[in-house]
Amino acid sequence: MNSLRLPLLESVFSAVNLGAIVLDGQRRIALWNCWMTKHSGLAHEQVLGQDFFSVCPELRGGRVEAAIQYALYNNFPSLLSQTLNKAPFALYARDERIQQAVEVTPIAVEGAPRHCLIQVSDVSIAVAREKLLREQAMVLRSQTFADGLTGIANRRHFDVAMEKEHRRAKRGGTPLSLLMIDIDHFKAYNDHYGHQKGDQCLIQVAAALADMLKRPCDLMARYGGEEFAMILPETDVDKALLMAEAIRARAQALAIPHERNTDPSQLVTVSIGIATQKADAPVEMDALIGAADRALYQAKRSGRNLIAAIQPI
Amino acid sequence: MLPTFTLSELENDALIEIFNIGVGHAAASMSAIVNEAVRMSVPSISFIPRVEAARLLGAGSGDSGPERICGVSQHYDGAFETEAILMFPEDKSLEIVRLMVGEAVPLKELTEMEQEAMCEIGNIMLNSCVGTLANIFQRELHGSLPQYHVGTSDQILSATAAGSQADTVVLMLHIDFLLEKHQIHGYVAFVLAISALHDLKDQINLYIARVMGQA
Repeated sequence: MNSLRLPLLESVFSAVNLGAIVLDGQRRIALWNCWMTKHSGLAHEQVLGQDFFSVCPELRGGRVEAAIQYALYNNFPSLLSQTLNKAPFALYARDERIQQAVEVTPIAVEGAPRHCLIQVSDVSIAVAREKLLREQAMVLRSQTFADGLTGIANRRHFDVAMEKEHRRAKRGGTPLSLLMIDIDHFKAYNDHYGHQKGDQCLIQVAAALADMLKRPCDLMARYGGEEFAMILPETDVDKALLMAEAIRARAQALAIPHERNTDPSQLVTVSIGIATQKADAPVEMDALIGAADRALYQAKRSGRNLIAAIQPI
Repeated sequence: MLPTFTLSELENDALIEIFNIGVGHAAASMSAIVNEAVRMSVPSISFIPRVEAARLLGAGSGDSGPERICGVSQHYDGAFETEAILMFPEDKSLEIVRLMVGEAVPLKELTEMEQEAMCEIGNIMLNSCVGTLANIFQRELHGSLPQYHVGTSDQILSATAAGSQADTVVLMLHIDFLLEKHQIHGYVAFVLAISALHDLKDQINLYIARVMGQA
């Protein structure tokens, strides 16, 4: 029975239904099971005895290396969650990268320096399930995030989205533009045409402008009474200016009569303030919003139906 | 009579310094994960009997019963044996995980995947703290994988710390965690036997002697 023990253990190791790798004290691959072969495309004979980081060079310097160091030299196990480490190993199933939870555990070996065991579990199903859960929760919440009159995002939605996009831009090193859009002489419009017409004007302008946003990450929200805000991630100053000009033209093209407008067109027009946070120079969120507000004020003061941009500091 | 244990001011300062080195390493690892500045510090430590530890953590509960705490525990043995537990009030744990992940999830409890992320955060913190301690004391320890708990502080302490409660003391670290203008307070508790505490005191003094000797 005892003579069978070793080959039996090796077969069991090979057969377990998760990724299992054993590294020796010099971080060379001592064991590599069938699951790993199946999902990495690397066979035992290609990897056994090889330096782990020459087989998986993309893992050098990251959390996996730190975890291996901890296991081999400090005798502490580590856990790498799927959420904080997006699929570190290049493992595939059905042409998709497997979502992974990784555990690195020290292994004591008699008569040899400490080894470590790396276990990779496939958590793709759980990840997909949670994605669905999150999406459905977002749908439920979005119902409290819509403006009652125009149906576009409300101020609360804007605040949440702005914070999220601001952080994303800072983390990702990408530019972020914010547009503040205000209907010119809207109070006069309301006084002249009545509130019902005023509401219709808001609905029409909101729908037309929101329709101009094509990317899912862009957001247009009702910021205040007749003021709208647009969050444009990954958009630099030049693109923001082009977008603002297109919006200004689109609002006028709606051809909604506005006798009390100072603009010679006598149609409903908008003024737009632009502030862009550069990719390499992130600013505080309040500074970005403040700059867009000041730009809007500048556009108004310069005669309305205009756009103005201010660099936030 | 509850067991009491005290350190001299010098020993206390040395231990705080050691833990600050530890959480400094943890903060660096977390910064690397989120690609954003994460700062952590240990402003103070205290030794309290096991019963009082549960009471301290339950503070701020009010009439609605004891506050729910989120904990990540790991067991360490070898040169000394301890149960180490990172603890945050449940709402703060939601805040930490979602800040680290950078995603807003409109759910009042951590999802399974988020619990695992919380375990990783605890694993990084506890390994860094205990690892620094072990390195400085030139001792070797063995650690278990992290476990996630949620419940009252009493439930968490009972679930993790086996054995008699009368002769155990809790070394409580106050942790300040700073990420993207959010400051979050938490605790790391080391549940230790009285005998281990005397060993700890001896080790701190050896460390102080070495540091003084080098100066």
